[in-house]
Amino acid sequence: MIKCPFCGTVHVDNTLFCSECGTYLLEDDRRGTDPLGTDEIGWVGEGEEEHEVSPVTQGTGPLGIRLKIGDSGRVVEASLSKAIHLGRLDPASDVFPELDLTNDNGLEKGVSRRHARILKREGVVVVEDLGSINGTFINGKRLAPYLPEVLHPGDQLQLGKLLIEVEFF
Amino acid sequence: MRLDKNYYDILRVDINASEDEIRKAYRKLVREYHPDVNHSPEAARLFQEIQEAYEVLSDPKQRRRYDHLRESEGVDKSSAISLRAIVSHKQLLLGIEEQALYVLLDIAPATDLPVSRLPLNLCLVLDRSTSMQGMRLQQVKEGARQIIDRLNPDDALALVVFSDRAEVILPSQKNIDKAMAKSIASTIQPSGGTEMLQGLLAGLHELEKHRTPESVNHLILLTDGQTYGDEQECLERAQWAGMNQISLTTMGIGSDWNEQLLDQMAAVSGGTSVYIDSPRKVVDVFKTTIRNLSSVVARELTMSINPANGVTLVEAFQLVPYIQRLDVRAEKAVLGPLATGQGKSIVLEFRIKSESVPSNKRVARITVEGDLPGQESRRSWEWIDIFAEFVPSRDTGVAIPPPIVTALGKLAIFKMQEKAMDDLAQGRISAATQRLETMATRLLNLGETDLARAALLEAGRLARTGDLSAEGRKKIRYGTRALSILPKEIRRD
Repeated sequence: MIKCPFCGTVHVDNTLFCSECGTYLLEDDRRGTDPLGTDEIGWVGEGEEEHEVSPVTQGTGPLGIRLKIGDSGRVVEASLSKAIHLGRLDPASDVFPELDLTNDNGLEKGVSRRHARILKREGVVVVEDLGSINGTFINGKRLAPYLPEVLHPGDQLQLGKLLIEVEFF
Repeated sequence: MRLDKNYYDILRVDINASEDEIRKAYRKLVREYHPDVNHSPEAARLFQEIQEAYEVLSDPKQRRRYDHLRESEGVDKSSAISLRAIVSHKQLLLGIEEQALYVLLDIAPATDLPVSRLPLNLCLVLDRSTSMQGMRLQQVKEGARQIIDRLNPDDALALVVFSDRAEVILPSQKNIDKAMAKSIASTIQPSGGTEMLQGLLAGLHELEKHRTPESVNHLILLTDGQTYGDEQECLERAQWAGMNQISLTTMGIGSDWNEQLLDQMAAVSGGTSVYIDSPRKVVDVFKTTIRNLSSVVARELTMSINPANGVTLVEAFQLVPYIQRLDVRAEKAVLGPLATGQGKSIVLEFRIKSESVPSNKRVARITVEGDLPGQESRRSWEWIDIFAEFVPSRDTGVAIPPPIVTALGKLAIFKMQEKAMDDLAQGRISAATQRLETMATRLLNLGETDLARAALLEAGRLARTGDLSAEGRKKIRYGTRALSILPKEIRRD
């Protein structure tokens, strides 16, 4: 039996979404390499503040991330003190990603408006696909939507067909 | 290498299986069918097949050649329908009392199907009540003209208008004089009320004139108002149409029409209902409808599901072209026509009772049948078996296929909408309000800002007034239904 962490409804094993509130339910043993606890796997956007890194954990792990984007080779550096959303800017539908990939051929390469986000949890940098249409890949492996995966320096991140090289500092 | 054999089926792997998956599947089958272990003559034959399949598929070069040859030779010509299934959990744990298993089924016309356009037998039944005056009627006329332009000489067309009564302005005919037909469409004048049954009856009568076993028989019904007192009979006529190979596209403009009636009429006839929120969209809707009708290859698609012992089918939804709950009480569902370039996706949810012995079990067989008037063997069918492996512990790193997660995520929102409407119908206002609010959050996460806003707006209205607006109700209903329609994925090759 699985209990929905959001509303407490009980479901049979292997159920993927709560029938009452639509929360994504995922068992512990299915998450492969992801080192995070089940209770942290909520639906994206819920309890956003708990993903903010507390001052205690700030000291651990890398402080910032350096991303080299696609053909243009544009290099972006960002602090990991809060989540970095990757996508395409679209003010009309209220989408303001921290890293706007519109000018990196984002649309042509299949980047969704809300595509993925990178954040640091307990000193570990993870990337989470936000249910994008064309998928997020680490070193060619497609991520399950809403399931954070650990990002390592030197990894090749891919949004749709857009390649991004990852380094930490 | 034998092209008439499906090596993927023999190894029980997906056509996109990785080398690693193929190797694993092979090892498992060898353990099961090796002559040293399994002494039945059947096993000896299977073992040989397994060897052969592995030899080809394990070698990337041979596998590519095999795939290519099979594709270009058009093997499997026997079936005009192609099926593909993805399961959520390839491995199920032993000894669990009850667990869920999801299957995503893609149905498409076989790629090698010779394309011959079937003759259309079409009737437009248009509402010309006073409320249609102005932009609405103007756009409907333009839409009708666009349809006329797209007809072939062997297509039959009839035009019916209705208000308080029905009038056949163009009796069903082939070899249409297009200029004449268009000028007739242009003369439609608004007047009177909305009595749908009259129009529907006249339209069905016209369709009878050119209905043949080969034709795609279709009635497009467009209205902008409520019809009173004849709802039940309208539904019965739609049902009759469905049984006589006539499908209905029902279109509602604005917000004053009865969405439940139009949806049901479309569903029972194997057709589609469309919500047109702005007159500007009429022409596009008409064009899409005629394009889909022109590419129909199979009529009356039905799907039947045979679960194995200890397996039950809980529910089924059509996901593509739009989300719709399928009635599977008899483990059989009507899916309507199938068009080239417009496949269907179905989501099935099974419950599986405990197993105590490790095994590779066939969970269910899904059979899809269709009537293909253009093909030699008219009645075409195809089946696919769903397998799951019962294991004491799962292999690590086996993820749930992303397409299933995405599909079920959208379905979850659709189901919340269903529940909210149900709560509302039962008078549970606060429950319905809360559900709409939660739904809005989920929609925001999907990036569906417009729909999320509509849901929030209606949640607020519901809390204040105890009901939804007619427009909001339609927006939410048709908006969540269309969640599965997204731009095509970029193919990764």
